[in-house]
Amino acid sequence: MEKRLNKKDFDNFITSLRGKGYKTIAPKKDNNLIVLDEVQGGGEISLDHVITNNSIKEFFFPKTEKVLSYRMEKNNVQIEEPEDFAVKSVIFGSRPCDAFSLPVMDKVFNWDCSDKFWVQRREAVTIVTIACDKCDTYCFCTSVGLAPDAKGGSDVLFTKISGDDYVVETVTEKGESLIKEFEGVFSDPLSEASDRQVATVEKKFEIEKVKSWLDENFVHTVWTDFSLKCIGCGACTFVCPTCHCFDIVDECTMTKGDRVKNWDGCQFKMFTMHTSGHNPRSTQGERWRQRIMHKFKYYVEKFDSILCVGCGRCSRVCPADMNISEMLEIIATEASQPGNKE
Amino acid sequence: MDNIYRPYLMNIRDMIEEAPGVRTFRLNFLNEDEGKKFQFKAGQFALYSAFGYGECTFCIASSPTRMDAIECTFREAGRVTNALRELNVGDTLGFRGPYGNVFPIEEWEGKNLVFIAGGIALPPLRSVIWNCLDLRDRFKDVTIIYGAKSVADLVYKHELKEWDARDDVNLITTVDPGGETPDWPGKVGFVPTVVEQAEPSSNNAIAIVCGPPIMIKFTLPVLEKLGFKQEKVYTTLENRMKCGLGKCGRCNIGCTYVCKEGPVFTAEEINKMPDEF
Ligand SMILES: Cc1cc2nc3c(=O)[nH]c(=O)nc-3n(C[C@H](O)[C@H](O)[C@H](O)COP(=O)(O)OP(=O)(O)OC[C@H]3O[C@@H](n4cnc5c(N)ncnc54)[C@H](O)[C@@H]3O)c2cc1C
Ligand code: SF4
Ligand code: SF4
Ligand code: FES
Repeated sequence: MEKRLNKKDFDNFITSLRGKGYKTIAPKKDNNLIVLDEVQGGGEISLDHVITNNSIKEFFFPKTEKVLSYRMEKNNVQIEEPEDFAVKSVIFGSRPCDAFSLPVMDKVFNWDCSDKFWVQRREAVTIVTIACDKCDTYCFCTSVGLAPDAKGGSDVLFTKISGDDYVVETVTEKGESLIKEFEGVFSDPLSEASDRQVATVEKKFEIEKVKSWLDENFVHTVWTDFSLKCIGCGACTFVCPTCHCFDIVDECTMTKGDRVKNWDGCQFKMFTMHTSGHNPRSTQGERWRQRIMHKFKYYVEKFDSILCVGCGRCSRVCPADMNISEMLEIIATEASQPGNKE
Repeated sequence: MDNIYRPYLMNIRDMIEEAPGVRTFRLNFLNEDEGKKFQFKAGQFALYSAFGYGECTFCIASSPTRMDAIECTFREAGRVTNALRELNVGDTLGFRGPYGNVFPIEEWEGKNLVFIAGGIALPPLRSVIWNCLDLRDRFKDVTIIYGAKSVADLVYKHELKEWDARDDVNLITTVDPGGETPDWPGKVGFVPTVVEQAEPSSNNAIAIVCGPPIMIKFTLPVLEKLGFKQEKVYTTLENRMKCGLGKCGRCNIGCTYVCKEGPVFTAEEINKMPDEF
């Protein structure tokens, strides 16, 4: 189904959604940042950005979330299940790269057994994406097989056309029924074809070359060389829409407590440290290698998806100016050198 | 949909002081129906929780042939294990499992078994040792070589006596030089050396090795010298774990999730892995 919506009617759309009990999340200004966060009306929405500072993942896999609660009285322990963690919501104005991270992460949260916290939120949330009409030097979605107007993971895709009009395409049945539910808000598409304003993102490297190089080069000086300036702060993993590592800890008083799942990251030194003090990944080079290998080799082999959507957030946020696409370009170039297997 | 992070509640029925800082719990399911349905195989592990402190990983140290209680043996090492040690008979703890792969005991039928363990690493082997001894007629010779730092550090002292007394088990115990007592009847020396001296035959044999990384690193070449093919040598790995379910992304060695595809591996598999354990 195709429809049209003018920017001035975004407020109407958000208000209608809220009227029907949807929680609405959209990009908005927060001091100098643009963040995906709850909005009360369309007026709060900010679209003058390439990408939000935070990624979409926290609405499905929060920074910290309760997986159970318990009460203790002497030897009597009672476990209580968290309730109402999956709230009917619409995320409006996420970017195609962020949306695409969701089907990628579905795989790890569902293989073998399903993590209900992820799965039930996925069911409860509808994703309305706006295609990118601009990009910056950190963006590299086209190098990992995506595009500024890619539809994967979105339920509805908005693409800017003339003026402040957007063409509205439904991608999934969930998106279709959302648009039907709010049909009155939308206009019919323009009869004459109009140009879609979609950013051009330069392709920086051949992803197949990266994979074949990784297959052969677990041991290579590039890992240490490239990671020397990395301070192991983990910021890259926290902003990443596809990083999903977590810790499980108890937070409690004497008589009651919560067991919570917290974001964690492979760039932290303690991440793999055994209690004995032995650490299988004891240097930052090894930890950086794990991040690259996990995204472009291990996940690909296990789940048939690249664990990176080319959003560039990790590079934008890095205090040490580590740039993942630069690393991947180096690898792809290495792979093209004579004598190296492709 | 079930909550995969929800543990069973277990009651501590009994506990045994094995060695300084090492304790065994005998556990029963608080909910009898859950207990009746519960199954596992030797080699698998679980996440045990001290409510208020968190979870940590131990193998299931009891044999699946003896389901009257689930047992674990742990060393006091940090936050959660210290909290577990504060618990007493009658107290409740959390238990999530069984997780991981298993020792392929069926494939070992008709073979000689050589168990080699060091220190606190006897618990995972104890599960499979009792499993095999309870099906004793399916296997040929059973040799157990077990070493610890000192006499006091040997775990399952009462069971070592029991195995020693059996005609169908060849038990060799050893302690590190300096760890012996005047009346110590066993050997003195490091596990790899003792294995080399004992010369267990590799003919129609399987070796199962468990111990600190350093012990494993030195024992594998000895086994190779004795003619054990890499695919006949089994061990378990202990990468740090949190979920046990292949989700938290912590335990991998290259493409392998230790919590799902391990913790049991053959030496052949381990040799193909990158050095990340
Ligand atoms: C497959 C497998 C089988 C094992 N089998 C056995 C066995 O049979 N017996 C045995 O003794 N050991 C066994 N181990 C080792 C055992 O898991 C560790 O010794 C144990 O987890 C140590 O837990 P701890 O909490 O006491 O240690 P700690 O080092 O204190 O903590 C471990 C984790 O708890 C969290 N933590 C610690 N302190 C805090 C804090 N202050 N606040 C918040 N979080 C904190 C951290 O996430 C930390 O990574 C096994 C390990 C594996 C992987
Ligand atoms: S953000 Fe940069 S410095 Fe921090 S861990 Fe990631 S790569 Fe290293
Ligand atoms: S690795 Fe970097 S570029 Fe790739 S998805 Fe994560 S944050 Fe975006
Ligand atoms: S313990 Fe979480 S992935 Fe293995």
